[in-house]
Amino acid sequence: MERTITLIALFAALIAALGLVPKFDLASGVPITAQSMGFMLAGTVLGAKRGALAALLFLGLVALGLPLLAGGRGGLGVFTGPTLGFLVGFPIAAYVTGALAQGWAAKGGFILPALAATVGGIVVLYGFGIAGFAVVTGKSIAASTAIMAVFIPGDLIKAVLTGLITQGLRKARPDLVVA
Amino acid sequence: MISLTSDIRTPWHGLPAGPKLLALCLWTLALTWVQVVPVALGACAAVAVLYLPGGVAFVRQGLRLLKPLWVFAVLVGGWHVVTGEIAQGAVILLRLAAAIAAANLVTLTTRLDTMLAVVERALAVLRVPPLFRKRLALAVALVIRFTPVLAQKGSQLVLAWRARSARRPGWHLMVPFALTALDDAERVADAIRARGGA
Amino acid sequence: MSGTETKTLAIRLQDVRLTLGGKALFDGLSLGLDAPRVAVIGRNGAGKSQLARLVCGLTEADSGTVTVAGVDVAKDRKAAIGTVGILFQNPDHQIIFPTVAEEMAFGLTQQGHTRADAAAMVADMLAKFERANWTDRAVHTLSQGQRHLVCLMSVLLMQPRVIVLDEPFAGLDMATVLRLTRYLDALPQHLVHITHDLDSIASYDRVIWMEAGAVQADGTPDQVIPAYRDAMTRMGERDDFADL
Repeated sequence: MERTITLIALFAALIAALGLVPKFDLASGVPITAQSMGFMLAGTVLGAKRGALAALLFLGLVALGLPLLAGGRGGLGVFTGPTLGFLVGFPIAAYVTGALAQGWAAKGGFILPALAATVGGIVVLYGFGIAGFAVVTGKSIAASTAIMAVFIPGDLIKAVLTGLITQGLRKARPDLVVA
Repeated sequence: MISLTSDIRTPWHGLPAGPKLLALCLWTLALTWVQVVPVALGACAAVAVLYLPGGVAFVRQGLRLLKPLWVFAVLVGGWHVVTGEIAQGAVILLRLAAAIAAANLVTLTTRLDTMLAVVERALAVLRVPPLFRKRLALAVALVIRFTPVLAQKGSQLVLAWRARSARRPGWHLMVPFALTALDDAERVADAIRARGGA
Repeated sequence: MSGTETKTLAIRLQDVRLTLGGKALFDGLSLGLDAPRVAVIGRNGAGKSQLARLVCGLTEADSGTVTVAGVDVAKDRKAAIGTVGILFQNPDHQIIFPTVAEEMAFGLTQQGHTRADAAAMVADMLAKFERANWTDRAVHTLSQGQRHLVCLMSVLLMQPRVIVLDEPFAGLDMATVLRLTRYLDALPQHLVHITHDLDSIASYDRVIWMEAGAVQADGTPDQVIPAYRDAMTRMGERDDFADL
């Protein structure tokens, strides 16, 4: 049980730290924040339940007023803003990613975790994100989708990278990584 | 870890967190009924007035927390200008500003430990088992303790990369970074077990 | 690296100013570190590590210049990486890749070598250190001293002209320190060695004692080290923890 608590807490801290460390250069020349990758990794590395809990713990602390979101954002304001859907979606995306990754338990490859991250981190996440955006702003689903679609290519790259990173982690700590 | 609470005292700092949070919920709910620009402007003005007792520096802190709204404002505002629905766009943005600014006000005037106390009380009211509450408190403490540690490790890894490469750090750095979190989790679990377990 | 190269290599800090976290660290520091073996000693917080980072170009001074063999190490990163290498204190903070071969090849591929060339160079280096069987070893199965060696080999592969060592042996056992020191002493590169281990630098060309971002003393080991020992002993005898 201690291990479960520390894994969840340390992964939440990792997601927070990803917001603090200067941007990684994720795809030759394109600077993107790696924080959203942290949620998908939580799923592939810790599994569905623990990954979702890590995401929830992280969001809880953001709500309490800690500036842990990339760019030093935090507080209740972010939950009243247009990204509400994505914030709600992160734990669910982590759960779905983890469930798929566990179910497909890749034997050494990166494609299956990447696929899991795509379904969880993009399909599910954007589902919630777009819905939330539509609700908060009062725009139609079609309009919201059009606006949010611009971020999808970047997140697709992140999903693939999640697969590659999971593969690297699996090689280093085979008994710790779930996917 | 430094929270977003403002160190500039306002009368709102002294209020208990529970009522503030409740007021915020009601306010956000009420805003969903705002449909016209004058009312939306009025709502923004009302929130702005609440910031005044903190003085200029406090207002500036509040504005800084609203900065992320700009990107969104440009996106949505631009969309509405293109489609010709300027009034509707204005209402959306003003409503959002009023909601977010109010939420930020609560964050700026409520300390982290006060917020945690509210959470604890809510969990007690909901009859959540004390063992779970204890573990949650432990988890929160661990995140606060280890986020700066991991951030520092991340910076060191970036430095190690830059010492051997003129290019910006790539995704490869995520592997040792995540490994640190996993390894630290093992060690801290041992330390907790050695002190009686969780 | 040709062992007969006796061309002096100029490491120059000119009027360097650096403020970190609101505190002024260096205020117009000018220093030349030309000798083949230079040591930097001083209390923690004196600015030794930041000096190391300035010499590598990892930190850019607020004003003033830092050049190594004519290269502006902060601005011209590509040239800097081929000129100055650095060994950090903790190998776990600088090893990025999981296997020895990948870690050692990293700098080479970043410099533009093909994978095949890099792999060949890595194999040569491992053979030179008689560790050919380390190629596919996972780094986390190596001991601390062995990891230090991996870091050293990785730096040497980039063929720098200067190697900065930021307390590279802290926490290692005596035998390991002696072995690693032997490797270092035999290197043709100029060394800038930051350390608390005063015995290991007794035969260096020059010792610089840093205190609060400025040079307290600068001379041969015989001149500087006894004075440093005296000062540290006196400080240690005080009960006052205020400046700890």
